[in-house]
Amino acid sequence: MDFPTELRTTLVAAMDRLIPADEYPSASNNGVLDYLERQFDGDLAGVWPIYRAGLESLNLEATAVLGRGFAELGPAQQDELLRRVETGAVSTPWPTDPAAFFTRLVDNVAEGYYADPEHNFGNPGKLSWKMIGFVERKG
Amino acid sequence: MTYDYDVVIVGAGAAGGTVAGVLAEAGKRVLLLERGPAATFPDISRDHLRNQRLSLYGHNAGPEIDGNPRVTVSLHPTSTAVRPHEGGYDNNAAVVGGGSLVYGAQAWRFMRQDFRMASVYGVPEGSSLADWPIDYDDLEPYYERAEWEIGVAGDGDANLRQAPRKRGYPMPPIPGNPSREVLRRGADRLGWNTFPVPMAINTAPYQGRPACSQCSYCVGFACPVDAKNGSQNTMVARALRTGLCSLETGAMAESIDVDGQGRVRGVTYFGPQPDGPPSPNSGRVGQTARHSSGAPSIGGRGAVRRRVTAKAVVVSGGAVESARLLLNSACGMHPNGLGNESDMLGRNLDGHVYTGAFGVFDEIVQDGLGPGVSIATCEFNHGNPGIVGGGMLANEFTKLPIMFWRGGRPPDVPRWGQANKSFMRDAYLRSIQIAGPIHDIPSPTARVEVDQAVRDRFGIPVARLSGAVHPETMRTAQFIRERAEEWLRASGASKVWSYPNELGRSGGQHQAGTCRMGIDPSTSVTDTFGRIHSHDNLFVVDGSLHVTNGGFNPVLTIMAMAFRCAENIARSIA
Repeated sequence: MDFPTELRTTLVAAMDRLIPADEYPSASNNGVLDYLERQFDGDLAGVWPIYRAGLESLNLEATAVLGRGFAELGPAQQDELLRRVETGAVSTPWPTDPAAFFTRLVDNVAEGYYADPEHNFGNPGKLSWKMIGFVERKG
Repeated sequence: MTYDYDVVIVGAGAAGGTVAGVLAEAGKRVLLLERGPAATFPDISRDHLRNQRLSLYGHNAGPEIDGNPRVTVSLHPTSTAVRPHEGGYDNNAAVVGGGSLVYGAQAWRFMRQDFRMASVYGVPEGSSLADWPIDYDDLEPYYERAEWEIGVAGDGDANLRQAPRKRGYPMPPIPGNPSREVLRRGADRLGWNTFPVPMAINTAPYQGRPACSQCSYCVGFACPVDAKNGSQNTMVARALRTGLCSLETGAMAESIDVDGQGRVRGVTYFGPQPDGPPSPNSGRVGQTARHSSGAPSIGGRGAVRRRVTAKAVVVSGGAVESARLLLNSACGMHPNGLGNESDMLGRNLDGHVYTGAFGVFDEIVQDGLGPGVSIATCEFNHGNPGIVGGGMLANEFTKLPIMFWRGGRPPDVPRWGQANKSFMRDAYLRSIQIAGPIHDIPSPTARVEVDQAVRDRFGIPVARLSGAVHPETMRTAQFIRERAEEWLRASGASKVWSYPNELGRSGGQHQAGTCRMGIDPSTSVTDTFGRIHSHDNLFVVDGSLHVTNGGFNPVLTIMAMAFRCAENIARSIA
């Protein structure tokens, strides 16, 4: 699926704090968005409403607490907000359980970042495997 | 009367495939039914999220995700229908070769005490701990057969705790790796005997197939060079070469047929339509299958119900599906299922509670090559003060990156952010997991039943799994977990951690116990050769027979038992 633009912006900002860039790419620069787009047409189709609610709530939480949308915050503020979501210590009403949403997001982002590109479409250059030292032999 | 076959075998896994080979080579006409396909390496794929090791969204070796539910009952208790890749299903592969197509291939003999648990330790209250009706010496010749005819690599002299063996292994042990060196040094400091893990993997060309290429995908996947030995490339292949064995895939057994005198006459199953387009799961290899009677009726997606007759039937579906088939074969004379006169059928389901520990080292301890598992100790299988049984400990298989992300992180490393990413980068090649299967202490309340309200895609009532291993197993697990930590510390790990086990059901890929063999029909389902007490031409041959399941991966014992039982079946059929 194609994510609605605003949610996509929030999602990219969030995933790039979960796996930030260093010498190796951030989540969004290692195909995680491609992984999620395909998964929301497949195995994760049923949980898109939770994602939508979670991403919208993350933005509303950012605006209510820090006066700006999540993607406009600096990295430290983004991390602080994500920690609150992770522990369920949110200040605004969430229609979905924030901690459960966060766990789902963290797990799915890691799946896209560390799994194989042949079947899952994230990690296209297998850079995460190079980063950690996973050796793949075809034969 | 004339029979379509001498023997019909239900299930082409580690046991059923072995039985097929022995019987066909003994000149018997065999029909080997397998509900899954005959899968090749590309069929199994290398999907990191859908495999027998990590089944987040599906499986690579069946059964199909849709149309094959089971019902799982938690300890709370609530019952839930689950699909094959979901928790509580206790899946094993549904494919020719069964689990042995995609297993890690550790090929252990049980120890002498493993067959005499009640005599050695007494019976914990509420447990069904018992001695096997046979002992290690009865099985020793068949362990040797399995090691040589399936093909196992190992050092026959190195394990000082093993029971006596008459012959070594046919191939030298798997190559060493940095983990082996580090852990051997640690064990030497502790005075523990260690040795290379015996593996059903070719370390040299053997039986016409090459040596292992050390790819990193052993466990959970098929072998890219066919160097991993399962039943599919050994005993099933031998069965087919005789010309006497028909292998029918996509064939799901519905019931075992019993005549008015209570004698087993054959099997009713759903198979592919004879003239329709083949389904991806279906096919026939070997002789053209013969089918006698019955108006074909349609079940599932274009499958046809068939009935075949045979002088004997062998049930080899694994501890869940074998019990399910026998329960679903209830009839007027046997209203509770075949072999269930004493309410023993389906009880004592066990597998292995796994425990172990993790350690991070300052030095590189992994080379990233497969299979990775390389060193073990049997110091703590028995003789642990105040503890019932124990278990083998070995280093773990090379981990897929996502598996390491999910399970390799110490409690003080966050699951996200730069700290997590840095840990992944720095620790993957510096981490060792020690793991081992605990000799489960079985409970009669851990069981397989059938749920009439939930049906599979053929309309057959599904397995309903409930209960848990006996709580005493948790004390053993705790003791072994502490030994795993001790080993890592002595080996120089800079950080060591582990997690306690939670009491629950144990089954899964090591599933066993549901058709316990024995001498007394009031406490067992089959005799000492897998023959159902109440039917002299109906046999169970798979892990279901295990009275207890050892502190080891059980497959070599399943195969050794299959050789032994199959010899007896061949003798018993005129």
